[in-house]
Amino acid sequence: MAMTDPILSESAAKVRLRRQGEVLRSLMTNPTTALGMIIIILLLGMAIFAPYLMPPNIPDPYQMPRDWGATRMPPGTPGHPLGTTNQGGDVLYGVVWGSRSSLQMSLIVVSVTVVIGVVIGSIAGIVGGWIDEALMRVVDIFLSIPELIFALAVAAILGPSFTNIILSLCIVFWVKYARIMRAQIILIRQSDYVQAARVMGDSRFNIFRRDILPNASTPIAVQATLDMGNIVLVGATLSFIGLSESGIAEWGVLVSEGQAGIASGRWWASTFPGLMIFLWALAFNLVGDGLRDALDPRTEGKR
Amino acid sequence: MMQQRLSEKSAQRKAGDTLLSVRNLCKHFPIREGILQSTVGHVRAVDGVSFDIRRGETVGLVGESGCGKTTLSQCVAGLTTPTSGEILFDTGRGGPLGQEDRIDAMPRDRYRTYRRNTQMVFQDNFASLNPRELVIDCIGRPLRVYNEASGSELTERVVELLEQVGLGRQHLYRYPHQFSGGQRQRISIARALALDPELIVLDEPTSALDVSVQAQILNLLWDLQKHRHLAYLFVTHDLSVVRHMADRTVTMYLGRVVEQGPTETIFGNAAHPYTKALLAAKPDLDDDPSVPIATLEGVVPDPARPPKGCRFHTRCPVATPDCGWEVDDIVRLLEADETLFQSLQGVARKTDLEAGLTFADETAAAALHAALGSDRVPLAMRTATETLDLNGKTVNIRFRETEEVSLTDRGEGHQAACVLGRGGQ
Repeated sequence: MAMTDPILSESAAKVRLRRQGEVLRSLMTNPTTALGMIIIILLLGMAIFAPYLMPPNIPDPYQMPRDWGATRMPPGTPGHPLGTTNQGGDVLYGVVWGSRSSLQMSLIVVSVTVVIGVVIGSIAGIVGGWIDEALMRVVDIFLSIPELIFALAVAAILGPSFTNIILSLCIVFWVKYARIMRAQIILIRQSDYVQAARVMGDSRFNIFRRDILPNASTPIAVQATLDMGNIVLVGATLSFIGLSESGIAEWGVLVSEGQAGIASGRWWASTFPGLMIFLWALAFNLVGDGLRDALDPRTEGKR
Repeated sequence: MMQQRLSEKSAQRKAGDTLLSVRNLCKHFPIREGILQSTVGHVRAVDGVSFDIRRGETVGLVGESGCGKTTLSQCVAGLTTPTSGEILFDTGRGGPLGQEDRIDAMPRDRYRTYRRNTQMVFQDNFASLNPRELVIDCIGRPLRVYNEASGSELTERVVELLEQVGLGRQHLYRYPHQFSGGQRQRISIARALALDPELIVLDEPTSALDVSVQAQILNLLWDLQKHRHLAYLFVTHDLSVVRHMADRTVTMYLGRVVEQGPTETIFGNAAHPYTKALLAAKPDLDDDPSVPIATLEGVVPDPARPPKGCRFHTRCPVATPDCGWEVDDIVRLLEADETLFQSLQGVARKTDLEAGLTFADETAAAALHAALGSDRVPLAMRTATETLDLNGKTVNIRFRETEEVSLTDRGEGHQAACVLGRGGQ
């Protein structure tokens, strides 16, 4: 017997909830994953509570404030704990509101690309034939160009703006999900439990909904978590080379605008936002790796 | 309510009626090659198989790996569309089975009757359960598909099914990975039972289990059959299991049925050398351990180009000249001989029985010529050779014509496809 305690007052919802709790717990038992989780929680808290942490005094909070009376202040200056930029923008303000920009960017891009990728991958995997061939060749073409260069090209065509960076990332990042989804469908479709569902006469829609989607979601979730980090990294790079708007509270822009001062010893304006990009990408990569192990129902719990 | 429905159904079920009939069934898988994926041949997984399953009986289907038994069971379960031939299922239309009972030509409502009355249990107890489905959803799923139950009624039905397979209410809200192999197989069986089917296809249901657990599962299947008047198609390579479970046994070799009949007859008085070889290869507790177990020589021929005549003749210890010797037998012989096969330049085939084999040099041709006349080839093959001559680099050979080997009656429902003991010979 795997377990002997009779759970008589049980319900499916409770068990599913408990399993999610178990996944979370097994995530936290792995020290590197736990570190990533803590960083993510801090970063998310920062993004969500930005209006309270750093109340804006200008109509557009995503614009860096400019205080021409306090430019190029070093860290530790009263009122500017992380110093100020060449234009007198508070670096801490940029760091805090930059996390909000990053969260927006990564959430929008991940949700859009997961949906596009899953839909296209499902069409390819389910319909098959020449439609599958055509879609997968498109995916191959997309995958043959490095993400950063492709995103750069698209963003350059669209013109420099933060919205266009998001748009270009959406165009670039869906391909992996399409590929994963298609591979999962082909794999799961041949599994015995799908055969069993066919023998009982279940519909193709139900097989997709109850067998294929839940089992394909694991690698998709892992990839999505990793991409939460990668997207900010690529997005910041695009901002850095000037494909975003200048003067906004976005980490890549801040690094870019601060780098001129590094040679003259004013390291703080680009170091702190750069550190944030590093932490963001690191944290999501750590959690993504941990999630890969935790979401596999066979290793979960290790009973 | 469930009990009432069950007894109703049992009354309709008359033991002995033919429930499912497989007639001349073929399933060929195309072999595709190259960029254009052109078909270069077919793997004849199932190649002209006929047999019946009667209500309430267990038919054991045995054979080596790759003989087509799994493909056949998938056809019976409706998972694979046969290339040709037909599967007839008694959906209660009345009268003898006919063309209207073909599962691929039935009206929708009767197909649904077939569908819910034929269920399957798979070999791999882990892979056959969705790892993200709770036991209640897994076993309750067929009931939901046919809108048989929902809510608390569904829960009660699932509990009832769990109890029938020796599990209980406490297992409702568990995931498959929380069970042992034997328990998972019980869940699979409960799922197959949910719709109260007439036929369950069991594809090696105990092969992945420990011997002690195997016995438990077999006893469970045995009990369920007695209570529910189920028919089983029991696919296995384990002859002891077949002997224990099956009323009738069907032996397959390379996509064909070579022998079928009552299990006792097959085990006590097998007519086909292949069945005999399988039985001899079965280790037994009473065996003298100093005597090596008799095993079959050679490999199973390529199912893409199966041997003519009796497909077993290439490995048969008692083959006769009438077993269907052909040019391909020489090709198979050459494939086993590296040096001769290297120097083979071409086979000019006039018919399946007559060909000229050309070699790079005269020594190789002479070597083959000598080998074909010596005891390096079976005596039956030498006897079946009508002409064999050496002409420089070419060896010409012709085999005698033989009749097709088909299943012939051996009395009491026992049929075998072997030239030995065939009526009139």
